Amino acid sequence: MSKAKQSKAERQAARQRSQRITALIATAALGVALLCLCGVFLPLLLADRPASNSPTGAEDARTATLTLAYTPDKAELMRTLADRFNGQKLHTDDRQPMTVQLVELTPDAMVAEALAGPSFQALSPDSSLWLDQLDRRWGEAQQVGEGAIAPSLVGESVRFAISPVVIAAWENVARDLGWPDQPIGWQQIQQRAASDASFRWSHPSTNVASGLLATLAEFYAGAGKTRGLTEEDATAQSTLDYVSAIERTVKFYGEGEAAIMQRARQEGRGFLDAFVAQEHLVVNFNRQQPGDRLVALYPSEGTLWADHPLALLEAGNVTDNQRQTWRALRDFVQSPEAQQMVLEAGFRPADLSVALAGSPIDAANGVDPSQPQTTLQVPGPAVVDVVQNVWQYTKRKANIFLVVDTSGSMEGQKMAAAQAALHEFMAQIKGNEERVGLVEFSSTVNNIAPLDTLTNNRWQIEQNIDQLQAYGNTALLDGVRTAYVRLQQLGDTERINAIVVMTDGQENNSHISLRNLQREIQQGNSQGVPVVIFTIAFGDDADYDVLRAIAESSGGQVRQGDLNTIRQLYRLLSSYF
Amino acid sequence: MNRTRVIFIVIIVAALALVGVAALLRTLNSQAGGPLVAEQRGPIQVRVLTALPVYDWVSQAARQFNAEQHTLDGNVIQVEIIAMDGLSALGKFDRDEFGALPADVDLQNLSDQQKAALARFPTAWIPDSRYLPELANVAYKERLGRDIFLTDGEYRARPIALSLFAWGLYQSRADALKAKVGDIDWQVIHDAAINPGGWPALGGKPDWGFFKLVVPNPRKNVGGLAAMVAAAGEYYGKTSIGTAEVTDPAFQRWLGELMGSTTDLGGGSAYTAEDFALFGYSAGDGGQLLEADLLKNMEGIQTRWGEALEIFYPTYVTWFDFPFTIWMGPETSAVEKNAALAFQSYLLSPEVQAQAVGAGLRPVNAAVSVDQPNSPFTRWASQGVAPIVSRTDAMRSPDRDVLLALLRWFDLNVGR
Repeated sequence: MSKAKQSKAERQAARQRSQRITALIATAALGVALLCLCGVFLPLLLADRPASNSPTGAEDARTATLTLAYTPDKAELMRTLADRFNGQKLHTDDRQPMTVQLVELTPDAMVAEALAGPSFQALSPDSSLWLDQLDRRWGEAQQVGEGAIAPSLVGESVRFAISPVVIAAWENVARDLGWPDQPIGWQQIQQRAASDASFRWSHPSTNVASGLLATLAEFYAGAGKTRGLTEEDATAQSTLDYVSAIERTVKFYGEGEAAIMQRARQEGRGFLDAFVAQEHLVVNFNRQQPGDRLVALYPSEGTLWADHPLALLEAGNVTDNQRQTWRALRDFVQSPEAQQMVLEAGFRPADLSVALAGSPIDAANGVDPSQPQTTLQVPGPAVVDVVQNVWQYTKRKANIFLVVDTSGSMEGQKMAAAQAALHEFMAQIKGNEERVGLVEFSSTVNNIAPLDTLTNNRWQIEQNIDQLQAYGNTALLDGVRTAYVRLQQLGDTERINAIVVMTDGQENNSHISLRNLQREIQQGNSQGVPVVIFTIAFGDDADYDVLRAIAESSGGQVRQGDLNTIRQLYRLLSSYF
Repeated sequence: MNRTRVIFIVIIVAALALVGVAALLRTLNSQAGGPLVAEQRGPIQVRVLTALPVYDWVSQAARQFNAEQHTLDGNVIQVEIIAMDGLSALGKFDRDEFGALPADVDLQNLSDQQKAALARFPTAWIPDSRYLPELANVAYKERLGRDIFLTDGEYRARPIALSLFAWGLYQSRADALKAKVGDIDWQVIHDAAINPGGWPALGGKPDWGFFKLVVPNPRKNVGGLAAMVAAAGEYYGKTSIGTAEVTDPAFQRWLGELMGSTTDLGGGSAYTAEDFALFGYSAGDGGQLLEADLLKNMEGIQTRWGEALEIFYPTYVTWFDFPFTIWMGPETSAVEKNAALAFQSYLLSPEVQAQAVGAGLRPVNAAVSVDQPNSPFTRWASQGVAPIVSRTDAMRSPDRDVLLALLRWFDLNVGR
């Protein structure tokens, strides 16, 4: 190779080396520049980016997620409205996504949580009655002087859907009562129930608007008044005697009319003859269920409107962005689109320009849009409180056996949760005249607390719950049978007789078989006293089929629970007594 | 310097320049967030607490105003309308819930918490009636030693619309009652309310139940207090009511009988006229309510319930004048006060006053008449709505002691 050629090759190699170094330096410099840019601009960019779906609460000062508590009777409508609202993908001024998150609660639980420090910022109970009660309790807690302008926990409130409370009756039952030619009121229902032992009717407990209305109607009738019910009227012995007599005719109570309507769907005409419910549930039943039709009877003495207020809660945990979401939601539920959804769901829309003519609210669905003609007077919150409290003592009493699984698999968190749930149940049974017993089972049936009035054994039952210990196998069927036999032996037809049984596992140690137990229950219920059995499958390992078979053989229900829901489940079941 | 170094230096210089610009932007961004700034940057925020009867109209006007991009000293004005019943707002001022600063506060040394609280302080208040800011002044005079809402000068309270209390009865019920007893007044309503035979004894149908009166809950709607004062006026046959009259046992018994015929003794919402329409004759046969609220709901009532209301004017008339009242404390800046003044002028313009008429309100601008085409006053004239109502027998505004005595009586006898 010549020298010139060698020199040229070296220059070429040096140039290539230089180009590579230049490229490397440029890349490095660009990288540094990009890193600097990222360091400065990224926070700015992130500040304007929508946040991910973080949990709500005051801890996140910018969150625009509004948690809304609603009542179970309008679950379907609320889910539809929330989905549609969230589907709009609205944002606040600072680019936070406006989202509505739903939580289902009974009205009394809503009030209790709102006073204790709520996890929700807005609420929609079934009636404004609960908002009044909430504000009254809040005002009392604030100790505002008489005559002063009291603060309010309930902030802005709007209405978007209403529905009158009616007596839902099967069409043939309604015709027997005189419908559609004669006015039918609370008194006709009460008289029929008192004179005809085969007439089965029910109203929810007073922790929902329709149950409270039915109870108020009884107190009015008992006091011989149609308005101006006072605390003295509600607590007069003659009123209490009247209400007690009527309540003895109630087949059972329950957590709300939505649950009752569900059973009417499942059991059909063989279910109750009449029950208290909101009009929209009657509309939807008739639209969805072929066969026997329900008819809405608008009580001639007057009824009550479930007005489903939607209110912001001024509990100090509402961010500015959540207020923006609230305003957007408030406007949305009143928009023509949402009002049409409300009508479609069987409610009467709050927008009066929406005509009811040609809507599902018509005679074909068993309802009358020109009704009701008159309403029952709702007393002040203090009288309503008294009626709710006094009802606990006048309602039909119950004999309840709590049957509890203490097998080895319940050890740890499960046992702690079950104990808390059982205590919750006991706290909800306020009347000391109720009789409660406890049966504990593991490998065998053991530690039986006999049935007695809570005056005598409330303390003992609470002690027994605290002392529950997990070990051994699962003699579920023997546990249920023990309680059942005791209730049959008692033979008390005046009271509701019930068993609430909970297990987390599979039956593996009983002497009696499922078939024999079912036969015994069916025979006992038809020839002896009817005992209704509520069964709780606690966790995924519980034998749901066996529990369902036990419940169904008694006309009861089976419910699925877990560590998070078991307490609420026991609370719900307490409303049946 | 070879090319490699030149490229290197250019990139580094460019990156540093970008960093510098970005840092500057960030600094400006963070400064703009402060609630109390010496110089206005961005929109001037005006927050107006607004009485419920004018809320829809004022909200609509605010939307137009914001869309039209009105400016003050080169800054755009943004108006936010907050619905609040007059009595609730008065309660909040009384309890100082908006967080007014103490008299001796040093504005230069406010804590971050104080600054944040002032960011939501109302710039102006449109209560139902002029006596409400006067009552608020009483509380602030004790606290600060001066009035906080002015009654004269440039920033004085100015009425933006008028409305009066009138009787509204469902037509079927009005026909029956008129045939039985004649003209409608508080005494006739009282007698109907306490009639033990209910509607059958009053010439109506049995399924109408008892006569049901509609009166706003005075704890939620200042109209409830106005109705009770108006009832007292007719009871005593005078336009000025004092504490002695409202605490008289005979009057209280009469008022108790009257209020006992309402259907919801405990609650009811603040929007009584809307409830009256929504729940129809089932919840109330008739009541004395603000004319604007009645007119706003006339169409809907007819659509939903198949009959209209008939309107009657009482002997002693209670007027609401909805004064636009600017907060005069240091919690809002001079710029914000002037911006509020600009919105006040906008509300008083003929175009916006004409919209008030459309909402059932009577205009304060003399250039605007209630007799315009499509006005609810002409639309519902056949139902008794009168374009001109004599003001000679207007009820005088009650003083604070009368209001508190009535509220106390209500709490003890009706709202329990």
